[in-house]
Amino acid sequence: MKKKAIDYGGKKKPDYARRQGYRFSRRSLLLGAGQAGLFGLLGWRLHQLQILDSSEYRLLSDENRMTLQLVAPARGTIFDRFGAVIAEDKENLRLLVLPAFCKSLPGTLAALGKIIPVSAATRDRVMRAARRQSGYYPVLVAEGLTWRQFALLNVLAPQIPGMRTDRSAYRRYDHARPMAHVVGYVGLAGKDEVDLDPVMRLPGFRTGRTGVEKAFDRELRGSPGSIKYEVDVHGRVVRELDSKPSTKGRDLVLTIDHHLQTVALDRIKDHRVASIVVLDVVTGGILVMASTPTFDPNDVAFNVNLDQWRALGRNQDHPLHNRAIRGQYPPGSTFKVVTALAGLSAGVIDEVETMRCPGSYAVGRKRFRCWKSHGGGINVHEAIKQSCDVYFYETAKRMGIDHLAVVARELGLGRTYDCGLEGEKPGLIPDKAWKRAKLLEAWYPGETVIAGIGQGFVSTTPLQLAVMTARVATGRAVLPKLILSGQDNVEPWPLLSLDLAHLDAVRSGMIAVVNEKGGTAGRSALQLADVQMAGKTGTSQVVSSRNEHKLSAYDRETHALFIAFAPAHAPRYAAACVVEHGGGGSRAAAPVVRDVMTEALLRDPAGRPAFVANNDHALPAAVAAIGPVR
Amino acid sequence: MKMLFAETPAPKLNLTKKLLLLNWPFLALITAIVLVGAASLYSVAGGSLEPWASRHVVRFCFGLALLFAVAFSDIRWWLRGAFPLYVVALLLMLLVPLIGVESGGARRWLGYGEISFQPSEMMKIALVLALARYYQWLPPEKIWRPDALLPPMLLIGLPMLLALAQPDLGTAALFAIIGGGLLFLAGVSWFYFAAGIAGIIVALPHAWEKLHDYQKERVLTFIDPERDPLGSGYHILQSKIAIGSGGLAGKGYMQGTQAQLNFLPEKHTDFIFTMFAEEMGFVGAVLLLALYLLALLFITYMALRCRSMFAKLVAGGMGLTMFAYVFINVAMVTGLVPVVGVPLPLVSYGGTSMLTMIVGLGFVLNAHVNRKVTFRPEETRTLW
Repeated sequence: MKKKAIDYGGKKKPDYARRQGYRFSRRSLLLGAGQAGLFGLLGWRLHQLQILDSSEYRLLSDENRMTLQLVAPARGTIFDRFGAVIAEDKENLRLLVLPAFCKSLPGTLAALGKIIPVSAATRDRVMRAARRQSGYYPVLVAEGLTWRQFALLNVLAPQIPGMRTDRSAYRRYDHARPMAHVVGYVGLAGKDEVDLDPVMRLPGFRTGRTGVEKAFDRELRGSPGSIKYEVDVHGRVVRELDSKPSTKGRDLVLTIDHHLQTVALDRIKDHRVASIVVLDVVTGGILVMASTPTFDPNDVAFNVNLDQWRALGRNQDHPLHNRAIRGQYPPGSTFKVVTALAGLSAGVIDEVETMRCPGSYAVGRKRFRCWKSHGGGINVHEAIKQSCDVYFYETAKRMGIDHLAVVARELGLGRTYDCGLEGEKPGLIPDKAWKRAKLLEAWYPGETVIAGIGQGFVSTTPLQLAVMTARVATGRAVLPKLILSGQDNVEPWPLLSLDLAHLDAVRSGMIAVVNEKGGTAGRSALQLADVQMAGKTGTSQVVSSRNEHKLSAYDRETHALFIAFAPAHAPRYAAACVVEHGGGGSRAAAPVVRDVMTEALLRDPAGRPAFVANNDHALPAAVAAIGPVR
Repeated sequence: MKMLFAETPAPKLNLTKKLLLLNWPFLALITAIVLVGAASLYSVAGGSLEPWASRHVVRFCFGLALLFAVAFSDIRWWLRGAFPLYVVALLLMLLVPLIGVESGGARRWLGYGEISFQPSEMMKIALVLALARYYQWLPPEKIWRPDALLPPMLLIGLPMLLALAQPDLGTAALFAIIGGGLLFLAGVSWFYFAAGIAGIIVALPHAWEKLHDYQKERVLTFIDPERDPLGSGYHILQSKIAIGSGGLAGKGYMQGTQAQLNFLPEKHTDFIFTMFAEEMGFVGAVLLLALYLLALLFITYMALRCRSMFAKLVAGGMGLTMFAYVFINVAMVTGLVPVVGVPLPLVSYGGTSMLTMIVGLGFVLNAHVNRKVTFRPEETRTLW
């Protein structure tokens, strides 16, 4: 039986395996033929290049070298909101060498050294650059030459083989010190960038390092042009074959008002470290973002003085840091605005309930102090006005940390905004899940209590505080903007999911802080006839009282904070100011905000039409004015 | 009765036999190509063994040890190990976007300290093995069925998607070429290939939308190098000038002006053929191509002589890989296809590509040594 079955199978079924084997043979021969055919194609191509067109290519390669010169694009100009120039390209007279065309590079450099100073460091840098890249890329020897030097070099040019002069651009910053942190600065392209784009090899080509210059580097950079030259063996240009103009980068208009910015910086620079942000609450435009200590980007971007640069880096107060987005501070009592709104929205407190403040508050065995004993009759209004800690300890304890965190995030805290600045810090709004994930610990009730007055894990940046204030002032989810786009009449921000009555209660408390007797910032009321400001002071502890003695007097002093919006009943401007180790918020921060706010209200930058750059609507940009190699 | 089920005993191969069975002329050919590479690298470095030529040779010697190890190993290990190897390679490729090292806007490398490693290289070998393994298992009469085509499409598709995500267009294309070629060799019906090509033509405009700007730029620059004479077009243009100026007999060893004057980018890796063609001229370039073609013919011959489908496909697949590398590289430097960053196997300087190629050739030789081996059906039934 078995045998029969097998026979049956053998006869009836075709031998598929054998067929597959044959098919493999057929097809691999076919593929082999195809491969040979494609190799034939390569051979034909080589024949075309090396036999038929060889003389043409040999001409290009030997007798006449073609050089392609990149023409650097002009970098886009940066304006403030009224069209004042903040950063622009200016003419820069430079001296370059093309190593491939020098008889000997050291000889050329020595000859140049007789006309302009060429330091040993420069010589080393040029020699190294010449070894690293093609000899047909020019290497920068000196820039920022005077007209006299430039003219002299041009006269002597025929006697010095391989040298070139050109007129390129350098970046000039106006209103430099106040704008430094916002606009940032440019620097020579880094090693990693150079490999990405041949433009970066252009001698002296600079890219944005920080601030707007970095965040919008692509837009500002433009695209390079090129000029194709035919040159003889000595590198002398025989004729220009073809050229493509470079395209200037996009011009940017900032929302910043440089005048107001200067006023703000003048006002805060008496303090050692401080920063202030002023927002237009309707558009979210950042009108002021000042941080002290500051620096001059002109010193950093061009002809850098190394000692100065090192001193900047070593400075304990870190002048290069933009405190407004990178300084993360416990918000202190300014956070009570959030706690109040969260408590009201959770329903654990209402507008009429009063509490007693005996001057301290017990959680378990621990006692938390209030800054003074406020006595009885403290409702929300009074609690904000007098900044009563006990009221908010109790509020926070009743609602729990998670709800507080939700409302804090609703008000824009604990996140970055990507508004066009590099290095924004997110701050921190803690909740139970965060602590479990990050510290692997359970949440303690005492931590909720101190979070209620903006201490403990809570931390915010001045920009975040300003956004929070703007959101409280408008009830809308305002986001900050740094760049004015062409179409300015944007639709209003979406409404927050907070009750209007609750917002009103908190706002009236904030108005009382500044304008009622007994308010913590009573001395900082505006001196204007019909306009009021609303605000909240904050004084945040830096170290626990137990560790205070370990720090110097300056380092253990509290941070002073103040947030404000004005006009109180029709908000247009919101501000937040932090003075590091400034003492009390009402003493150090509130007067600063009062003065800047007064200036803002009198000047009213938000109410006036903003500047529109002429290439903002994707018009073809102007031809770059940078001269090519002579 | 018993006779019918008895099997022809699998030839027991000991090392001596294996040594005799090895295709020595082929090995000599490979060595010759590597030496051409070393000579070119010597010239590129301006007449110096450092930094490339000496290391190239050292790496080849190290590679040879690996090649022998692979060639003399038991083919049954690889039959069993094909799928696990594929899974490992796939997992490593998955790791790349998570912990890979970024360079030049793409993540392609896994690295720890000094050592770095490109999983997509390993995948090229693993893919060939896995596909060969699959068709060894698949009963030949089922090969025409659409559902039998599904697993190999997955095997090819997954690494392709991962490579595209990196993004590495060149490697994805290589996977497609190798995979498609293997399916063709395995005997998948012409009909499916016609359908596939039609599908690609329909999908092409959509794929174009998905490409990264720099990839679009490369294709556009390829079509018109003058578009961007200093960007990517620069490389093609300079490469063409160098090759073209070589002429019939070349400028002479170590006399190339274009390459020596640093006009050329990547002259020791992807553009080494340019330099070779400039110095050795049309004659030298064609001779080098002839060496490669000879090697490919050798591989085809070895594939034809194998009995088992697995061995046939492994040898054929590795041959395809080598062909794809050589063709794409030379076509790239002569301006026939866009610059995709594929090295010239065995000649270009670079550890990973050399290792892949050598190990691949080790598998070809392994298939050749085991050409008489057949597998029992039950050997192919398990996954490992």
